[in-house]
Amino acid sequence: MRKAIFLIISIVIIASFSFSAVTSQTVASSLGMVAAANPYAAEVGAEILEKGGNAIDAAIAVSFALGVVEPYASGLGGEGYAVVTLANGEKFAVDFKSMAPQAATYEKLEELGTSISGVRYTPKGALVPGIPAGIQMMLENGASMSLAELIQPAIDLARNGFTVNETFASVTSDNYEKLLENAPEFLKDMLLWEAGDTFVNEELAKTLELIKENGIDCFYHGQIADAIVDYMEKNDGFITKADMENYVPYLREPVHGTYRGYDVYAPGPPVSGPQLIAILNVLENFNLSAMGPFDPLAIHIIQQTLVLEDVDRRYYISDPDYYDLPVNGFMSKDYARLRAMVIDLNEALDPDSYWDYAGEAAPFEEGKSYEEVLIEKNKETAGVVAEINESPSTSHFSIVDKYGNAVAWTQTLSSFFGTGSYINGFFMNNEIGNFASSYRAWDIINLEPGMRPRTTICPTIIQKDGKVKYVIGTPGGGRIISTITELIVDLIDFGMPVDEAVKMPKFVGYTFYSNLRMEKGMPDNTVKALEALGHEVKLYDYPDLYFGGPNIISVEDSGLMIGMGSIRRNGAASAPEK
Amino acid sequence: MKRILILLLITFFAALGFSNAVTEEATLTFEEPVLITSGGQSPGALQMMVLAKMSGIKYEFIKDVEAATDNVVPFNTLIIVVGASGKGLGAAGIDVDTEIERVVELCKIARGLEKKIIISQIEGATRRGESSDRIADAVVEYADYLLIKDDANEDGKFTTIAKEKEIPIRLFDNTSDVKDILKELFLE
Repeated sequence: MRKAIFLIISIVIIASFSFSAVTSQTVASSLGMVAAANPYAAEVGAEILEKGGNAIDAAIAVSFALGVVEPYASGLGGEGYAVVTLANGEKFAVDFKSMAPQAATYEKLEELGTSISGVRYTPKGALVPGIPAGIQMMLENGASMSLAELIQPAIDLARNGFTVNETFASVTSDNYEKLLENAPEFLKDMLLWEAGDTFVNEELAKTLELIKENGIDCFYHGQIADAIVDYMEKNDGFITKADMENYVPYLREPVHGTYRGYDVYAPGPPVSGPQLIAILNVLENFNLSAMGPFDPLAIHIIQQTLVLEDVDRRYYISDPDYYDLPVNGFMSKDYARLRAMVIDLNEALDPDSYWDYAGEAAPFEEGKSYEEVLIEKNKETAGVVAEINESPSTSHFSIVDKYGNAVAWTQTLSSFFGTGSYINGFFMNNEIGNFASSYRAWDIINLEPGMRPRTTICPTIIQKDGKVKYVIGTPGGGRIISTITELIVDLIDFGMPVDEAVKMPKFVGYTFYSNLRMEKGMPDNTVKALEALGHEVKLYDYPDLYFGGPNIISVEDSGLMIGMGSIRRNGAASAPEK
Repeated sequence: MKRILILLLITFFAALGFSNAVTEEATLTFEEPVLITSGGQSPGALQMMVLAKMSGIKYEFIKDVEAATDNVVPFNTLIIVVGASGKGLGAAGIDVDTEIERVVELCKIARGLEKKIIISQIEGATRRGESSDRIADAVVEYADYLLIKDDANEDGKFTTIAKEKEIPIRLFDNTSDVKDILKELFLE
C-alpha cells in the first residue's frame, strides 16, 4: 500500500497510524497533501482526503482540529482568511476576519478611562469571531462532506485527548500568568502542561458537539452565542448578542499578481496579499537568481523592499468597506518600478527616515505608467504610525488534493491565547490591538464599530500555467510577509526544494525594526557585508518561532506533492495512504 | 539471560541507594513565613507560588523582589526558583546579569540575617540552558537545600553540586509533588 507514497524524506513518524495517513515533517505523495502546524491536525486533513473528501473538506476538518490541538493559536474564538483555487480554474477567497462590536469606540474607551492597549488582554479586547462563519461559507462553497463528518475528528481529539508537544508546553508556559488569572481550568490542576502530558478538553468536545448537532448557526444565534454574551456581560466585554447575530463572512476574489511567470493568488484587504504582490513586483526588477541566497546584495535588496512595502501597507491596506484605497495602484508593476528605484544598492536606508519613503500609489490606480508619474513626480511624506506589537501566534495550513484543488488558510487569535477569555473550552481573540492605538485623522485603521482590523496574514497559492505549484503561508506577526517573500524567492529564484526553503535562516524587513533581524546560520561574511552596507544586524537563535512557522506544499510537474511542516513549531505534513 | 537479570537488579538497587542518598536529607525542616521569588523571571516561580498556596504554608510571592534587608526581614525562609526566560526578563526590563546581581544580593542579605535559603528548579529540562545555568550557579552556594525537578538533573549537574558543596538535595518527578514536599518541609 505504501508504494503510493513515492518519497518520505524524513524518517521520523510523528504520530500514530490510527488514521492510516503518513505523517512526518516532510512527506511526498501524489494522493494529496496537508501541511499544518501540528501533526494531529495535519493527519486529520489527510484522513479526510483518504475518505474521498476534497481540499475544502480537509481544510474545514483541519481548521476545527487546530482549534483543539493548538487552542492557544486559533479556534472557534478566532478569525482568518482562506484562499482557494479549484482544478476547474475557479478561484475564490473567504474573508472571516473578526469584526469590531458596536460598543467598541475610542469615545467609549475614553469614557471608561482606558485605551486599546489597556483592554487588549481583557474581554473588551475581543472582536466578534469569524472562524465558524468562515467554515460555514466553505461548507457552502465546494465542500462534499457533511459538517458532522468534518467536525468529528476534532471532537474525538478533544474528548480522547492528545499528547502535548513542546510548542504547546512552551507557549502555555510563556502565558502562565494570563492563564492563571483568566482560565485556570485550562491548566493542569493550576500548573503548567508539560510535553508528553495528555491534554483532554471535554468542554470543547461538548461545544463542538453542539455545533455538530445544531449547525454553525448556534455559534452566532444560539446556545454558544448566549454563552459568549453571558461571559461578556459578566466580565465587561463589548460583544453583544446583536454583534454576534450581525456577523457575516465575505466571499471575495483573491488578489492576483505575477512573479517571473508564476501567478500569485493572495488575500485582499484588510490582510497582506496586496503587500506581498507589491513586494514581488519590486523584486522582479532585480536579477536575484544571479546572486544566490547567501549573497548580501540579494538579502539587502529583499530586506529594503520589505521595509518600503511595509511603509506602503500602512497607507494602502485597511478594511475595504471603510476606506477607498488605491490597492490596484499599489499592486501595479509600474508603481513597483518606481519603488525599486528608491533602493540604494550601496547603502541601507536610515531606519529613522523610513517614513520619508512612503510611496504614492494613487496615480497608478488611474493606470498611469511609471514614466508619466516620474515626469510629474510628486513625492509626499506622511505621518508616523504607532507600532503594533505583533506576536508570533496564528496558525497556517496548506492543502492540495489529488484533483488539483488547493486551499491556503490562516487563522488566529491575534496574541497567543487571545484575550485569555476562556469560554466553553475555547479562547477569544484579542484583535482589537490591530486598530490604531488612538484616533488619528489621517490613519486608515481607526477603530470603528463593524470594522475589521488590518493584519499581516497572507495565505497564498502560486500557480504555473494554470496548475497549483506552491501553497504557502505562515504565522509570525510582523515577520509573516518577510518569511513568505523569502520562501517564494528561495523556491522560484533560487530553485530550492521546499524543505531547504523552509530551513533557510530567515530575516525581516519591517518599518518598526531599526535593525535587520536574522536567524543565525548565514555565512559570517554575508553578515559582515550587510553591516558594511549600513545594516545593524541582530542575530537570533536558529530556528526561532519568532520568524514564523510556514507549512507549505509544492507540486512537481509529475504531480508529486511535497509537504513540509514547520521546523520552528513542531509542524507536520500528512498524506493519505490511498 | 541470568547475568543480564542480575546486572539489572544490581543497577536497580544501586540506583535506589543513590536515590535514598540524595533524598534522605529531606527530614530537614524549615520555618514559615516564606518569601518566594524568581531567579530569571520564568514562570517557575509563579508555579511555586501556586504550590505553596496548595500546600497551605504561609508565603509571600514577589517575583522580582528588590534585594533589600527590609524585604527579607519578615521571612524565615527564602525560596528562589531559578530559570531564565527571555520574555520574563524583557517584561521586567532587565538582563540576565542584572537578575544575577539581584538574586545573589538577596542571598547575601538572607544569609546575613541567618534566614534559610532553598534554591529550586521546578521546570525541568526545558528550562535548562546557558542563562538558567548561570543563575543557578551564582546562587547555589548560598543554598541550605536544593529542590530540583528530576529531568533538570539529567546531566547530574545538581546532584554533583549537592555532593561537592554538601547541600541536601531533593529530586522530584512531577511538579505537583512539590506540594507535599513543601508540607513536609514546613508543616511536619
